[in-house]
Amino acid sequence: MKRPSILLACILSFAAGAYAKPAALQVEATGEPELMLRGKDARQQLLVTAKLDDGALRDFTHKVNYAASPAGIVKVDSDGVVTPLADGMATVTADVEGVSASLPVKVEKAATVEPINFPNQIVPIFTKASCNSGGCHGKASGQNGFKLSLLGFEPMEDYEHLVKEARGRRVFPAAPDNSLLLMKGIGSTPHGGGRRIDQDSDDYRLLVRWIAQGMPYGKDTDPKLESVEVLPKVRTMALNGEQQLVVLAHFTDGSVHDVTRSALYEPNDKSMAKTEEDGRVTMLDQPGDVGVMVRYQGKVSVFRATVPLGQKVENLPKPVNFVDEIVFAKLRSIGMPPSPDSDDATFLRRVSLDIAGRVPSLDETRKFVADADPAKRDKLIDSLLDSAEYADFFANKWSALLRNKRSKPTDARGNFAFHSWIRDAMKANKPYDQFVREIVAASGEIEENPPVAWYRQVKDPQQQLEDTAQLFLGMRLQCAQCHHHPYEKWSQQDYYSFSAFFSQVGRKPSAVKENEMIFHKRGVATAVNKKTKQPVKPAGLGAVPQEIAADEDPRIVLADWMSDKANPFFAKALVNRYWKHFFNRGIVEPEDDMRETNPPSNPELLDALAAHFVKSGYDMKGLIREMTRSRAYQFSAMPNEFNKNDRQNFSRYYPRRLPAEVLYDAVNQLTNAPSSFAGLPAGTRAISLPDNSFNAGSYFLVVFGRPESSSACECERTQEASLAQCLHLLNAKDIQDKLSSNSGRSAQLAADPRPDDQKLGDLYQLAYSRQPDSAELTLAKAHLDKPRKDAEGKPLDPIAAKRQGYEDVLWAILNTKEFLFNH
Amino acid sequence: MLTILGKKQSFCDGVSRRNFLQIGALGLGGLALPDLLRAESQAGRSVSAQKAIIMIYLPGGPSHQDMYDIKEEAPREFRGEFNAIPTCVPGVRICEHMPQLARNFDKFAVIRSITDSASDHSSFQPLTGHSRKDAVQPSGGWPSAGAVIGKLQGSGRSGIPAYVGLNGSDPKGGAGGGFLGASYGAFSPSGKGRGDMVLNGVTLDRLEDRKSLLEGVDRFRREADTSGQMNGMDAFNQEAFSVVTSNKLVKALDVNAEDKKVAEAYKTRGDRNLNDFLVARRIVEAGARFVTLNFGGWDTHSKNFETLKKQLPVLDQGVTALVRDLHDRGMEKDVTVVVWGEFGRTPRVNGNAGRDHWPRVSSVLLAGGGMKTGQVIGATDRTGGEAADRPTRFGEVFATLYHNMGIDAAKLTIPDLAGRPQYIVDPGCTPMKELV
Repeated sequence: MKRPSILLACILSFAAGAYAKPAALQVEATGEPELMLRGKDARQQLLVTAKLDDGALRDFTHKVNYAASPAGIVKVDSDGVVTPLADGMATVTADVEGVSASLPVKVEKAATVEPINFPNQIVPIFTKASCNSGGCHGKASGQNGFKLSLLGFEPMEDYEHLVKEARGRRVFPAAPDNSLLLMKGIGSTPHGGGRRIDQDSDDYRLLVRWIAQGMPYGKDTDPKLESVEVLPKVRTMALNGEQQLVVLAHFTDGSVHDVTRSALYEPNDKSMAKTEEDGRVTMLDQPGDVGVMVRYQGKVSVFRATVPLGQKVENLPKPVNFVDEIVFAKLRSIGMPPSPDSDDATFLRRVSLDIAGRVPSLDETRKFVADADPAKRDKLIDSLLDSAEYADFFANKWSALLRNKRSKPTDARGNFAFHSWIRDAMKANKPYDQFVREIVAASGEIEENPPVAWYRQVKDPQQQLEDTAQLFLGMRLQCAQCHHHPYEKWSQQDYYSFSAFFSQVGRKPSAVKENEMIFHKRGVATAVNKKTKQPVKPAGLGAVPQEIAADEDPRIVLADWMSDKANPFFAKALVNRYWKHFFNRGIVEPEDDMRETNPPSNPELLDALAAHFVKSGYDMKGLIREMTRSRAYQFSAMPNEFNKNDRQNFSRYYPRRLPAEVLYDAVNQLTNAPSSFAGLPAGTRAISLPDNSFNAGSYFLVVFGRPESSSACECERTQEASLAQCLHLLNAKDIQDKLSSNSGRSAQLAADPRPDDQKLGDLYQLAYSRQPDSAELTLAKAHLDKPRKDAEGKPLDPIAAKRQGYEDVLWAILNTKEFLFNH
Repeated sequence: MLTILGKKQSFCDGVSRRNFLQIGALGLGGLALPDLLRAESQAGRSVSAQKAIIMIYLPGGPSHQDMYDIKEEAPREFRGEFNAIPTCVPGVRICEHMPQLARNFDKFAVIRSITDSASDHSSFQPLTGHSRKDAVQPSGGWPSAGAVIGKLQGSGRSGIPAYVGLNGSDPKGGAGGGFLGASYGAFSPSGKGRGDMVLNGVTLDRLEDRKSLLEGVDRFRREADTSGQMNGMDAFNQEAFSVVTSNKLVKALDVNAEDKKVAEAYKTRGDRNLNDFLVARRIVEAGARFVTLNFGGWDTHSKNFETLKKQLPVLDQGVTALVRDLHDRGMEKDVTVVVWGEFGRTPRVNGNAGRDHWPRVSSVLLAGGGMKTGQVIGATDRTGGEAADRPTRFGEVFATLYHNMGIDAAKLTIPDLAGRPQYIVDPGCTPMKELV
């Protein structure tokens, strides 16, 4: 079903006229030069596109007047839907302000009612009306005794339940309107789901005819749905602009049917676009890129819109690498001027937090700000990447995702070993493919080979495949365990084929008490497809099934497939994950949901990063270096008048609250009152805690969302604000104790003989890596100079008063957004 | 070794469920406006400030056939030692050691046929409505019903957490936030969060002074953040100051502040007190949505009758006092009370005069919530070993509880950590027609 990509409708051009008057119009239907309507049920949504004087394309489907001549062949309604009346040829014309375009239409068999095909025509009605949704008849147990397959993925089963079950009373061919199916559907008989279908609708009439025809299922030779296509595929749209979509179903016999009103629509960013049931997409007020997923009977397609802001972009800095080139190209193309470069202090704090998970020390700040070396930012990045804290911080990140969880006290040795293995890998910059291979294909005992610990938490083959897919391939396959993935091409066959890689994972008790040994259980790897009950061979996603010899560990074959340079998922998943770490938003968002129907906001960027990563030999530090040395990373967080609403083009840095551990360390550093963790040496920082078990002893870490390592999803770490967090920072005894500690910062500053101006300068640099301005100094000094009383109302002596004053200033600083956020 | 409320509890498996709650001790999930709006549009109803649930969890698995399902006709080795007495509802008879419940049975309903206990010695199923033993668990784990309600509806009033776990929970239990996140887990007034609600080493004046200093110092431009985090934090900060300065929760937790006459009904003669029953009512009245309390001592592998003779009268008094109190205050339409454990106990009395675990059938006692009371739903067979009529699942009770809160559980999904939409009750579970 190839067709020319150029628009083939007649285009009549007129001179430019009044505002909104297009320079030209075009009418499309299926992309073919002529529209063919065959049979009484045929219909077609038209797509009318105007070309404006500036060359922009705009949807005019609902703005033009339609006419058809000669009369009596077809009817066109005001929404641009064409239906047949009689056999023959006609011309449909769309017209606005004297500009018009037309499309020839041929009608055949207008009086013929084609035999109805149940899977192709009836099931989609249930899907559109949500009868077969997971909350209703589509759930595994059905609803009130009537079960449909989820989203109509199993038409045979649906037919069985509808026609043969319940002694056939659901359908009543002698008087179709009296069928329980229809009476429930229109709500004339009490129905828990209410009215789902309008009695005066094509869908209802089709159901009536189907029942009247005796409920045909259709013949084996009937065409089957092959793919769905959406028109247009991509479009540049205006803010608040509208676009009618046309959805075409392609069948195995080459026929094409309009399913615009039967398809389901969902934008991947609901703050950018909204959709309606008839296929209209409306942009909101966010510039950027959005994908609209179109679903029809297990087939998916996507419409991609770019919404430019259209400003002149003249303030771009000189790109330092490919990251800049691609990000800047995007900014230029959508017309969004970026924020200026961040200042040195801001950059220092930002990059130290992002790479090493800590705020810079006073000394580091002073040196960095004073350094005149033009290459000092790049040098700083290099030294941070070499630091022990980099390894701590990223080990902490990976340890949670790799589920290094303390489930019972005896897990401790394994937890420490696995954490330290991850940390060593980060420190040594072990190539990512090797890192993953050593985990996924781990064998032996934890003591000798710590990554075996992954298998301790991730127990059965299904969990193993799901974690592998989500964590290393950015694919969420869970849905496909029980049914065809509703947003994806993955089926149960794909799911179980992938799980077969883990079918030969053997376990036996180890010599160490309560430990297990992981080994390859000799045998040919297979799994059973739960749906078909047939054995399936191991296969990577979208790859051909593999025959793996009984002696060969299939997990090694899996690792080979994943780390193959041509693997379409592996490198992208990691670069997107890391991009989100540094830019606080994935190029695909969420970062581990990289399905075709959730397109990246900047595909070229994702491709280029992945290609770079593969070419570098999966060099993780190298990747971080490219990202952080880009000017794009170094933009200020402060918006200009144009990019305030930008959430996906990276025209500025998006601030994010510090993660729990980092924040705790920062509070401890600011107050100079370290925390202690049970069983660990004094001075251990939260960022280097080996596992989740320390959360139980730290309310701070829990309340700020440190994960329990029970999921492969970064989202287990909650970044959400909560009342408990605010209460804790404002009023916890733990915090107050740090503020008032005799060896803490407030006591030190109160005893320090230097003038307050200097001491406040230090404090601001410690917290924010910058000096206070004069207003801030005045405010803080006024607070320090206030007379103070003790609990009995007696005046405090000057030193005690000063110390209280510093406690208050410290308290205020650690409650500011500038402190709590990386920005 | 059996339970004294608030002290160490031990089950037959030897694991201590001391009033733990170091984990997830928050539950202050209020003010999540977008969540609330979404839930309302999904469920199609809005919620009154007073709607709430009090769940009395009986850890250990209470002996259903010695409480609300006495098998008077069964042989003695099944029937046990207790006799049944008539209630104020004709035809309904319950245990002689629950006389107050009998006199007020018009305000209660009992389901005698809960059949799908997971046989899991923990609060997981009673608090979440799901079995932890199902093959497929949502990514991040099931949240407790209190967490779901806190997430969807927030607290009824500012300064009060939405979800309060009065007696803490066992670390293996179901009081946590699951895939909703730890911050939606039960707030334990006896846990670590409590300290944050009262002033800590600073006077009120000094806190006010700090507050005005903070307003001056916190100058970071909020427009840099389009995620809503900073504005959210500002709103929570205001709320936090109100919690600390108003002391609402602390007052609600103080049983001594209760009217003497009302408190009298909760006073026991023995050493086991019913303070948590009264506190539950006070907190719900103050605006909490979901309050759990434990009333332990039901793992009666031996000396079943001797034990029950001591604790049934106390439970009887507590539950009746609570439900009568709710009626007296006109809260019976809004507040649902549910009393249950993780499973029932064996029909046949064992050699130690005890009864062992019996997941195949158990009972639940319900009251309030605008439900149809004064009835018994379902039945067990001759010996109380199997459901003979109207087998009922935990999920159906939860669907009913959610319904009472104005949440249509059949329509509501919440994405788990893998992004998969999860229905909050098990498939096929709908509000019970007999009750709503």
